[in-house]
Amino acid sequence: MSNDARTAVKLSLPLEFQQDIFKELREDNELVILARGLGILRIVTNLLHSYDAAGNNLILLVGASERENVWIGEALAEHAAVSQAAKARGLSLVNTDLMTVGTREKMYTQGGIFSITSRILIIDLLSGLVQPEKITGVVVLHAEKVTATSLEAFILRIYRQKNKEGFLKAFSDSPEPFTTGFAPLANMMKNLFLQKAALYPRYHVAVANSLEGRKRAEVIELEVPMTDAMRDIQNAVLECVEASISELRRSNSGIEMEDWTLDSALHRNFDTIIRRQLDPVWHRTTFKTRQVVRDLTLLRTILHALLTYDAVDFNRYLDTVLAASQPPPGSTKQNQSPWLFLDAADTIFTVAKRRVYKGKFANQDLAKNTNAMPEGLEPVLEEQPKWAQLAEILQEIEQDAYLNPTPQDSSNGAILVMCGDQNTCRQIREYLQIMYIKPADEQDDDDEENEPSAKFLMRRKLRSYLTWKRDFTNFSAALFSENQKAINTSTENKVGSGKSGRPPPNKRRRMRGGGAAPGTTRTDIGAVRTAGDRDAHIASLMAELQPSELETMQKGEIGVDPLDNMEDYYELFNMNDLIVVHPYDGDLDEHVLEETKPRYVIMYEPDAAFIRRIEVYRSSHTDRTVKVFFMYYGGSVEEQRYLSGVRREKDAFSRLIKERGNMAMTINPHANVDPQEDFLRKINTRIAGGGRLAATAQPPRVVVDVREFRSSLPSLLHGKSMVVVPCMLTVGDYVLTPHICIERKSVRDLIGSFANGRLFNQVEAMMEHYKSPMLLIEFDAGKSFTLEPFTDLSAGSAAAPDLQSKLVMLALAFPRLRIIWSSSPYQTAEIFLALKNQAEEPDPMRAVQLGLDPGMAGDEARTFGQVTQEMLRTLPGLNEKVVTTLTLEVENMTELANMEEKDLCKLIGTDAGRRVYRFFNRSVYEDFTVPTL
Amino acid sequence: QALPSRSGPSSILVSPRQKGNPILNSVRTVAWEYSDIPADYVVGATTCALFLSLKYHRLHPEYIFNRIRDLKGQYKLRILLTMVDIENHEDSLRDLSKTSLINNVTIMLAWSAQEAGRYLELFKTFEHAAPTSIKAQQSEHYSDRLVDFITVPRSINKTDALGLVSNFGSVRTAINATPEEIGLIAGWGEKKVQRWCNAVREPFRVKK
Repeated sequence: MSNDARTAVKLSLPLEFQQDIFKELREDNELVILARGLGILRIVTNLLHSYDAAGNNLILLVGASERENVWIGEALAEHAAVSQAAKARGLSLVNTDLMTVGTREKMYTQGGIFSITSRILIIDLLSGLVQPEKITGVVVLHAEKVTATSLEAFILRIYRQKNKEGFLKAFSDSPEPFTTGFAPLANMMKNLFLQKAALYPRYHVAVANSLEGRKRAEVIELEVPMTDAMRDIQNAVLECVEASISELRRSNSGIEMEDWTLDSALHRNFDTIIRRQLDPVWHRTTFKTRQVVRDLTLLRTILHALLTYDAVDFNRYLDTVLAASQPPPGSTKQNQSPWLFLDAADTIFTVAKRRVYKGKFANQDLAKNTNAMPEGLEPVLEEQPKWAQLAEILQEIEQDAYLNPTPQDSSNGAILVMCGDQNTCRQIREYLQIMYIKPADEQDDDDEENEPSAKFLMRRKLRSYLTWKRDFTNFSAALFSENQKAINTSTENKVGSGKSGRPPPNKRRRMRGGGAAPGTTRTDIGAVRTAGDRDAHIASLMAELQPSELETMQKGEIGVDPLDNMEDYYELFNMNDLIVVHPYDGDLDEHVLEETKPRYVIMYEPDAAFIRRIEVYRSSHTDRTVKVFFMYYGGSVEEQRYLSGVRREKDAFSRLIKERGNMAMTINPHANVDPQEDFLRKINTRIAGGGRLAATAQPPRVVVDVREFRSSLPSLLHGKSMVVVPCMLTVGDYVLTPHICIERKSVRDLIGSFANGRLFNQVEAMMEHYKSPMLLIEFDAGKSFTLEPFTDLSAGSAAAPDLQSKLVMLALAFPRLRIIWSSSPYQTAEIFLALKNQAEEPDPMRAVQLGLDPGMAGDEARTFGQVTQEMLRTLPGLNEKVVTTLTLEVENMTELANMEEKDLCKLIGTDAGRRVYRFFNRSVYEDFTVPTL
Repeated sequence: QALPSRSGPSSILVSPRQKGNPILNSVRTVAWEYSDIPADYVVGATTCALFLSLKYHRLHPEYIFNRIRDLKGQYKLRILLTMVDIENHEDSLRDLSKTSLINNVTIMLAWSAQEAGRYLELFKTFEHAAPTSIKAQQSEHYSDRLVDFITVPRSINKTDALGLVSNFGSVRTAINATPEEIGLIAGWGEKKVQRWCNAVREPFRVKK
């Protein structure tokens, strides 16, 4: 295997532990679990390059995300250029269904490194497009996701069955998933077909030496206190969380609930943990329980929003939350979320509002003058405490830079501000841009000139909020309560005032000061985008939210000099006086550090991985000094989440090390490739007289719809040594014999496809083409084997038919339909075997042809996007036929939405066309004077 | 089809051999009467049901075959109402699946006497009902439609849907909006924005 290692390959692994890992990986197949932030991708790319440089390889990269693909692709190209490897081909991507089979086949035969979406790879492996024997090796990223029934495990099994020589390396940088369940590491290794695990926590000796041996990065920790209002809201939200949890406890006795505490509610994925725990009884839980679980997710989002959004945006978000939880019109059921009835919920909403303004304003006021503050309203506009802190740090840096002008190092003078997401990024940029601009009325009598503040920003936000609020009240009124229809605000009036985008003359005074810079750009943008009256209105609304940053927004980084207006010509920013604001982005942050070479880094939000990245960066470049400011809200959820995150990672590693210490040795990892089974199959003693020997001479075969590869069943069927033939099926999901066709539904799917009527059509199609159509109702392995209980026996079936009565209707409508009940996918595989026993094998060609429109038969590339198909089905007035027509005739959703009414009518008929047109073009601000559909 | 005589149009016919079966206690909303029939229950002109407890089936696996044979191919829809009252049901259910295929019976599983009784009631009540409630139908409210449409891509919820249309005014403008514009809406993180934009821009089909 190492014969290709002779080629001169230049590596970019400056640190000792990275080189160690690389060497180990070159020699042996193993699973590497690295602590977050220690640069796992860098090791992966170096490894890939070392194989790439040798040429004549077919290497598969499994499990890489879209972002990582880009990263790896770039890095490989860079490596190839640096080490001038002539044979290197770089990375090829296979990630959409849209690539035809022919192209894929050609690519595979050419060789190189391929990053392939698992769902496509498994189909290509099964259909023989990629021959496992020809694969040089497989590299698995995100190894923590490779569970026994996952596609990745399926891929590895096929690969290892046919190819025992090729290499196999797996990587993961999140140790936590490896610690749940019994002997998790050993199981994981079995799934990965690996025997050796290498663990590199941050406290590993080699890692610690590499990072701490030389000069360490200087970190200044700043605890920013929250404002009283923020603290009140946080406490109130936590109270709601607590109430929701106790509600869950009350209604779900008999479940392990030790972890259901407020403390763990701060975890990043508390709601998913609860959901997983409820999963075994999920279809027996009440509506209320499900609602509470959903609420927990929502509450967690609110907690996050509290710390990241500014006061105005936060309030606006709460408005939307409130509107969304209103009961739909006409419903008499009291199904509002329980937490909304708590006092604490009231606190959340009122305090959030008080952070923005005091007093009341009537809707009519708003309708008249768009951009001015209504009279009865007194803005409060609390600023985020971190903003002031940020400004202070920047001043300090400025002083620092002034006092020691040019230190002896090779880093730039750039300042890097790292924050949680794009939105925060945008917020910081906006703040930095205008923090020295004052609203006019205060500038006159203000002495302290240079005090940065966000007043201007906040006022602008408030104005746009008020405009939005006006529309939104109309909107939610129109959508959610019938009786408010009477409130008649004329549309023309609104549109007219919205279009101007400029304050009425008598209110001008308020705008004078800062109106110069952002005010004009705003209208500029608005004017450019005037397409239709509605668009113009929206445009002015949007433009008000985003001043003059449009061009820089996409770039992800922007230079900001608050005292200088940006000019309209392009030039490279001087790296020395640049403030770069960037969101945390996993391993891609390494690039940011390398490219900006900052002297100062401000971490606006805590992130453990990024601290390590700085450590790595710092130790990789001895000649650069980095000063890090680390900011967090004291006593906040943010702080606790950070601390518990660090602790959990450490615990996970300790447990892994312990388990590895006493892990049983697997002697034969290829045990499940059993030749005996083939033998037994051939001499099936149950065949009387051997007359039908021909049928069993070949291994049992199942035709499976390609969309079914999302589930674990195909993998299990393959595990039962059946040949899985992936096909694009129109009728049914699985074809077992020429007569048996099966539609598989999990319980959740079953409920869903009953609701939208899809199941009826599917069964109808199966009835038409097969002698024995079957509906497989499959329960999850971990979940209980029962349907949900009847909603209410006394209520009668007329009100809302429950699952059972729908099943009865289905059975009555299709007496020939058989129902298979399976408690788990494992069980399903057994049942399939039993059903196939002694039967003939299905013909894939015929299965594919069935149910196809005769006009479209032969059109082999009938790959439709799942999501878009589903979206089409939710459109009013569409049946399957129209959906097909649209799919064939229209390019995509955007084109459909922008089609003229008459074209639509021509295409799909007057009635449906009109309804679809109205669905897309109806304005939600208007009153619903049009008769309902 | 051979119709059993004197079948009252509105009552379930019960074979005397089912006397004492607890599921009869849960048949409340529909009348039932004893009658001499080959099946255990007759719940419609062409529909009959056999009752089977898995506990019994494990001890006497041949019983159900004899009963099915006694039906002599009568009835269009033959229900095998199976009570799951044992823990290790896998083997029995697998065999029954095979049986149902060969002998043309449809298996319905019940986990309690109430549930089994309810099934009998339902089969009787829906005897002449048209299957409208399981056919395709959509909500008539524009707001529901709207929310349904926007929440199709994963992880986008109702709150997001409202935020989206309330910001853009109509579905068309929301579809035409650039990712940057959508990203400004509270609650719309990068992932959601990307999923939404992909969904509306992704081609419906492959161009040849």
